[in-house]
Amino acid sequence: MKLSYAQLLETNNLIQQNTDETYWLCLTRTVQESKLFPVSPYMILSYFMCFYRYPALLRKIEQHMSAEDIGDRARNMGIKIQNPSMGWCLPSFYLLGREYLITMGLIRPQDALEDVVYVMDFWKRYELAWHRNDGHLTNRDFGHRAQVLPERRLQIFHADMYDCVEGDALHTAAQAFMAATSQYGFLVSCESRIALHNQGPYKLDDEREMIVRDFMDLAEGDYPWLDGVAAEMPYNNLTVPMAVKGVHFNIIDDWGSFESQPEFKAEHIVGVGLYTSDTLSEGYLPVGMGSREELTRTFEALAEKAKDATNKLWKRIAGWSRDQMIDAGAITYFSIVKDLAHVAGCYEMEDWMLIDERAERFRPLLNDEYSNMSLWEILGPLSNPCQRTNEYQLCQHANIPARMYSLIPYSVLKDGDYTATVGDLQPGVSYLPPKEDRYRTTQGVLSLAEYNRQAREFTPTVCDDDHRWLCESWLKYHHDTPAAEALYRAEQQHSRLLKDKGAGLRRADIERLRGD
Amino acid sequence: MPRLYGDTDKFGEQNNTPVVEAFHGAIRAMVRQKLAASGQTWQDFVFDKAVTGITADDFRAIDQRLLDYGHRYVWSALVSQQERPEAYTAAQGVGEDLSTFSFEHPEAPTAAVDAEGRELRGCGDNVVRYNEDLIGTARYVRSSATVLNYLQNGVPPGTIAVIDDSGGTLTAPILEQFTGVICAGGTVRSHLGILTREYGIPCFMNSKISGIREGDTVRLECTATAKTADAYQKGIEMTGRIWRVAQ
Repeated sequence: MKLSYAQLLETNNLIQQNTDETYWLCLTRTVQESKLFPVSPYMILSYFMCFYRYPALLRKIEQHMSAEDIGDRARNMGIKIQNPSMGWCLPSFYLLGREYLITMGLIRPQDALEDVVYVMDFWKRYELAWHRNDGHLTNRDFGHRAQVLPERRLQIFHADMYDCVEGDALHTAAQAFMAATSQYGFLVSCESRIALHNQGPYKLDDEREMIVRDFMDLAEGDYPWLDGVAAEMPYNNLTVPMAVKGVHFNIIDDWGSFESQPEFKAEHIVGVGLYTSDTLSEGYLPVGMGSREELTRTFEALAEKAKDATNKLWKRIAGWSRDQMIDAGAITYFSIVKDLAHVAGCYEMEDWMLIDERAERFRPLLNDEYSNMSLWEILGPLSNPCQRTNEYQLCQHANIPARMYSLIPYSVLKDGDYTATVGDLQPGVSYLPPKEDRYRTTQGVLSLAEYNRQAREFTPTVCDDDHRWLCESWLKYHHDTPAAEALYRAEQQHSRLLKDKGAGLRRADIERLRGD
Repeated sequence: MPRLYGDTDKFGEQNNTPVVEAFHGAIRAMVRQKLAASGQTWQDFVFDKAVTGITADDFRAIDQRLLDYGHRYVWSALVSQQERPEAYTAAQGVGEDLSTFSFEHPEAPTAAVDAEGRELRGCGDNVVRYNEDLIGTARYVRSSATVLNYLQNGVPPGTIAVIDDSGGTLTAPILEQFTGVICAGGTVRSHLGILTREYGIPCFMNSKISGIREGDTVRLECTATAKTADAYQKGIEMTGRIWRVAQ
């Protein structure tokens, strides 16, 4: 593969964008720490896994489906390949693994060069597709927003959500559900926030905004540690469109977290809905949305299931060895982009749920103190030798002469002194019990072989060849055409208020329909 | 001995922390030795003998060398200390007897008892501003054993959990039962901050406290302004006060 100057310029720009944003994201949080999980040790182990495995796994995925095609699919459902997984984790976990190896003297910035260029290009293509409707690369690029959804989906979320006020039964049930499921998500994800995602904000009127909140990987699925304890969880992914009044969400970042002015409190919630989706569903499917009372009961029942699963899982984890905790955490981090393979229909447990043996050898280094301190140095003061730049430099947000992720030297275009790749997939190991062949999907509990088969054969209607290019720019001028009508009706097929209403409605029309 | 690419770094200096510098220096020295022994060029070595010829035993030896010098690692996850006590500093304040234990932050603001019977013992970053301050009983929660006990027997009413874990997993099964939380680490955007906001539980993160013992009655100034991301970015102090209250 002959690399061009333009490719290296773009790759270095993408690396630098991740440098700048990672520093900002980390600045407002301290290094993650837990008395239960050895968090820093598992994070570092996962970075090595990402460096050694992502290039081969992403190439394997693209033999089935391109990054941009997967981005199109993901834009229409609430599964894990949103944020923080794709907006930040894919490039930054990979680059952190690279940076650790550079500072240890185990690689140079120009080693695995074709891998680096490929991973960053994959990330760019995916992100541009996922952000297609807002026209950005990342939430950062958009001033920390993510307006990913098309009008046809926003209209359904808007129309079908039920109003609520603090103290009423629905408000209480929805808030209890979101709290319990957030809690469960942190535990499922071994103390990381990656089971949770927020996108938006979307404007409902002059006083109300909506964000769309995803709770992901909740049921028996990819993680071996959910076998049994999550058997009663009936949905793997749940999405809550949430309307608020009196609050502006001024930050929705690439970790999928939000911040608001004034600070968000439960009392601000004035509307909620509930949906599920996955790679086998026709977009978002309503859950308990038949009536206000049904939705209240559904939230209450799901909150109880989340609490029950939390208690069972906590007891299981409390009995784990340190190595098991590190395995689970590292696998959780590394496999944060695993749904790329599910969408492409090529997911294999051995690819995603094991510790690559090239990464495994570093485990004896990963005591708590070295892990905490080295993570702090690489993310905070940027004090690894390879991160320091000339003294005239002021890096973004910190004004210090440093750069988090090393750039590729352009000298390789002249002297060719680089290596291409870390190579093919290597075997993996794990201290955890083996995964049972049981995967909860919207099409029932499937074996992995069946799950992959259905994924390869399924294309959601809005993503098929007749519809995928009918974008928001096209719709603006063609809303009165049969093609637009068909597109909207396909999305509206499960809507309580908008079924067969078609493409002609505006936001004010939706509000009037809600009041009828 | 061959030189590594980083050996001619014009701007790089050593790492800030001794353990990181010790480990990274030892690893780089090992890589030089392995490269020399391999007889390979760097291009051939980097994804061949640098992978197959550098093993877990090599890294284990680096770890052992630091321990042989007398260093003991600071632990953060209790399981690390419990499984390998010879390698870590001792664990304090995580056992059954908490009667004499207290977090002691050197920068905790303190003051004598005021006219209202409040003794200032610290401050913290308020996650959400509430209409009233919170009064409750301080109880340290620092281990799985404590959590399991509360899980089986219930959290006493009025408990303000004092935690040094900014995560959301240690206390996962019992968090909902807390009346309030004082966390000695993290920021308002840490996992514990996010979860307490979702549950509507008053919480101070990044708390700097001193002299608060198990069972003390404490008051949190939850009416203080919630700390913003902008304040963290600009290094602006924005805290609520924590008092011990005469019973």
